[in-house]
Amino acid sequence: MTSIREEMWKTKGILFNFAISDLKVRYRNSVLGILWSVIEPLLLLGVLFVVFSTIFKFEIENFPIYLLLGLITWNFFKNGTSIALGSLTNRSAFISQIYFPRAIPGLSAGVTAAIMLITELVILGIFMAVLNFTPSLTILYLIPIFLLEFILILGIALPLSVLNAKFKDTEFIWGVILQAGFFLTPIFYQFDMLPETARNILQFTPMVQIVTMAHHVTLYGELPSVNSILYAIFSISIIVVIGYLIFRKFQARIVEEM
Amino acid sequence: MDEISVNIKHVSKKFRLYHENRTSIYESLLGYFSRKKHYETFQALDDITFDVKKGEMFGIIGKNGSGKTTLLRILSHIYQPDCGSVDIKGTIIPVLALGLGFHPELTATTNIVQSGTLLGFSKKEISDKIDDVIKFAELEKFADVKIKNFSSGMQMRLAFSTAVQVDPDVLILDEVFAVGDLNFQKKCFNTIMDFKKRGKSIIFVSHDMAPIKDFCDRAMFLNRGKIDTIGTPDDAIASYVDYLGKQNI
Repeated sequence: MTSIREEMWKTKGILFNFAISDLKVRYRNSVLGILWSVIEPLLLLGVLFVVFSTIFKFEIENFPIYLLLGLITWNFFKNGTSIALGSLTNRSAFISQIYFPRAIPGLSAGVTAAIMLITELVILGIFMAVLNFTPSLTILYLIPIFLLEFILILGIALPLSVLNAKFKDTEFIWGVILQAGFFLTPIFYQFDMLPETARNILQFTPMVQIVTMAHHVTLYGELPSVNSILYAIFSISIIVVIGYLIFRKFQARIVEEM
Repeated sequence: MDEISVNIKHVSKKFRLYHENRTSIYESLLGYFSRKKHYETFQALDDITFDVKKGEMFGIIGKNGSGKTTLLRILSHIYQPDCGSVDIKGTIIPVLALGLGFHPELTATTNIVQSGTLLGFSKKEISDKIDDVIKFAELEKFADVKIKNFSSGMQMRLAFSTAVQVDPDVLILDEVFAVGDLNFQKKCFNTIMDFKKRGKSIIFVSHDMAPIKDFCDRAMFLNRGKIDTIGTPDDAIASYVDYLGKQNI
């Protein structure tokens, strides 16, 4: 374990390098380039807004901001894990040519997603200004909430990167999980709208807690509930530990198995 | 000059040859329950022991599939050996047959930065060296062209230039000159000679016997994962040629 950590420290420069090259490759051959990381969520926001405010007539206070914040928080998770999914397989030529710690592509996927998160948060700021919404100071709690989410992303990114290199199925399974997660997380509805049985189960999923907490500190000026914090930390710790164990089991032989 | 920079002891490596390609979980489950052995083991390297001294150029020859590339990958930590020890003093850079693992969608410059960072250099050290790398590779016009538009010779030149500019203690060259033109080959050999003089070690794999004979201090003939001969280049080449001759009868 120490040796993995020591190696990581020596090659930490590559983390950002990979993150940047991930972004470059992602938007290659596109006219609008990195602007897509902003346009994409905005278009989705437009669709969801029209569907849920005019067709389903949800009555949520400050719905555009509620929706945008939920989307941004979810996108961070979605981007981080889905970039991690292909991070080793897309570099198969690379890792069979030159040695570097196997954790780096997965971890750098988290960094890539964090860079995208920052651009999206700028949009959120612009939206708040345009809609004349002044958040209370509790919005600063978004920082630890996103940090917690970042740890969750890394905990999933590591096992996903090696699992996908070994079993191509991972990609498809994860796609379905992300799809389900999008609907089961209170992004375009409020958690209270769900029936009680559903709430009892879903409260254990970390993303439900993270999105709920983000809404609370930004829109209602409330601190997250102790329950939310405990549920989130508990579930994320379990995921990180299991994720690391999976990663450690597969990482050494991954080049040969690919 | 007698200091040892690469020390390999009793290294063995087995591969699994999967006969039906099982890469999905469903297939794995099916295979698990059917209890049929779905792979056989293939001994790629068997008890390899050798060392390379500082300032020495060490050649490795052998047929395709004799374990040369596997050995180089173990030396560069890409594969883990099943048993045995690999001890390397200082930095090691492998220039394997297909380059330095360049990303086809990124430009030459970006790729140099990426490889340089991977090899543990700081941003400043790399940006100081980029021009030298490009110049040595004679790719001034192509510095901001994506690698996917490079010819294989250009890629190889870029890989070699990057590797030598990084100035490793041990340089691994696998079939590097198969694609370079004559001028560049000459330049490469001059650089390699300079490396040797400065006490660096070079491990050199080639199917072309002339450079092995002319430049290597010692050579090893690998035969089906085992060391057949290790000694002067002439001895190693002689037993390789002898072996090939016997096979043809």
